[in-house]
Amino acid sequence: MKDVSIIVSLKSPDPAAMTAMSTFRRIYPAKCPDNLLRYDHWRFMNPGQGTETVSGIVSRYHDIVNPNKQTWSYIDEFNKPSDLSDDGMVWIDVLVTDRIDSVSENWTAILRRSSCEIDGVLCSVLWRFGFASGISCDDARNRVLDLTASTYRDHGLLANPVSQKIDLPAPLRI
Amino acid sequence: MKSAPLVAVIQFPGSNCEYETARAVRSSGMDSCIYRWNQWRELRDSQPDAYVLPGGFSFQDRIRAGAVAAKERIMDLVFSEAADGKPVLGICNGAQILVESGMVPGWEKGRIETALAANHISGRSGYLSGWIFLHTTTRAQQICPWLGMTGNGVIPLPIAHAEGRFVFSEENHYRAESSAALKYCDEKGIESSDYPINPNGSFLNLAGVMNEYGNVLAMMPHPERAFWMWQLPPWIPGEWGDRRDESLSSGSHAAAKGPGSVFFMSLADYFRGER
Repeated sequence: MKDVSIIVSLKSPDPAAMTAMSTFRRIYPAKCPDNLLRYDHWRFMNPGQGTETVSGIVSRYHDIVNPNKQTWSYIDEFNKPSDLSDDGMVWIDVLVTDRIDSVSENWTAILRRSSCEIDGVLCSVLWRFGFASGISCDDARNRVLDLTASTYRDHGLLANPVSQKIDLPAPLRI
Repeated sequence: MKSAPLVAVIQFPGSNCEYETARAVRSSGMDSCIYRWNQWRELRDSQPDAYVLPGGFSFQDRIRAGAVAAKERIMDLVFSEAADGKPVLGICNGAQILVESGMVPGWEKGRIETALAANHISGRSGYLSGWIFLHTTTRAQQICPWLGMTGNGVIPLPIAHAEGRFVFSEENHYRAESSAALKYCDEKGIESSDYPINPNGSFLNLAGVMNEYGNVLAMMPHPERAFWMWQLPPWIPGEWGDRRDESLSSGSHAAAKGPGSVFFMSLADYFRGER
């Protein structure tokens, strides 16, 4: 059995992504991406009936996906959102996860208590950096790492590595 | 010419404790002025003697609490003034901004060496609001201008946060104690890592962290919300509970200063050269 991951996004523009973009434009104009998207990322570990179990959870718990204001989709094993079309941009994904996370722990407990066939849940934030063509994937990845890991006051923004883990899945050309 | 030390209270979009913080400063015999985050020229020209970053939700806590405010230009000024030794206090969201600015613990200049991570309590998550007890470390009492009058007693203060757990990288665990300023404890002063004594899972039961020189203090509890005795709930035990009862019976309750006042009175004392 394998894990199933979903991404959840607001139907309206994401305020955190907009703030991140405007901050990047102000403090790192040379490294700023052309587009930045933010998603809640939920990884369901070993769901008994695969996507069927996950869709049941999603439709039951509106704290995970509130259908009034959010949309969701599965992502495949390469972290490629299944609903994104080819737009000619270089997209680099970054997954930011709290090293210790009460939210994941509590959702795991809730789902187990409700007899869901599942080993656990892991909540993260998925940031998708879009760069207009003309940049190599390696350059884009380096820029994204610089912009993400907040190691100094004037370096990085999206994750504090002291308390958060940063993962860069393989670069995608979508 | 200043008649009293000027304490600048910096308001970011989403700050919500700036007025009571400024009042606490004035009630301690100092002058205070609120500066918005984009008034860095006015702030620079007024040459404050100390700075307070108040609580709230700067930039709506987007991305991570304190992360966006830490990159604002006004923080360049606070950073350089702190390096010159001026006292800086961050309360709750202000503490998160100081952490994200790398101003505490400040072992390496500008490096972000700690985090105020999401509360980690078994069986619950999210925002936590209530009263806690804390005590001051001996070293912090000696070197921190905000803590000179705190004494060895237990101080009850309110907390209200979702991201208040001080964490350090494993390679820095050995020196985290040196930056400890305030620690959660029970009403008798005994530390414990158990909830609710340590309300958020903070490393070493830390409620406040200072820099090497003690002039920068980042604390999660809200002293400005316990500045007056009447703000203390009736169930608070110990020395401050007794003082509260005394003020009630003597009729001085409305004007009596509460446990949060010692942080601001300590700074006033520091400026008078009494500490």
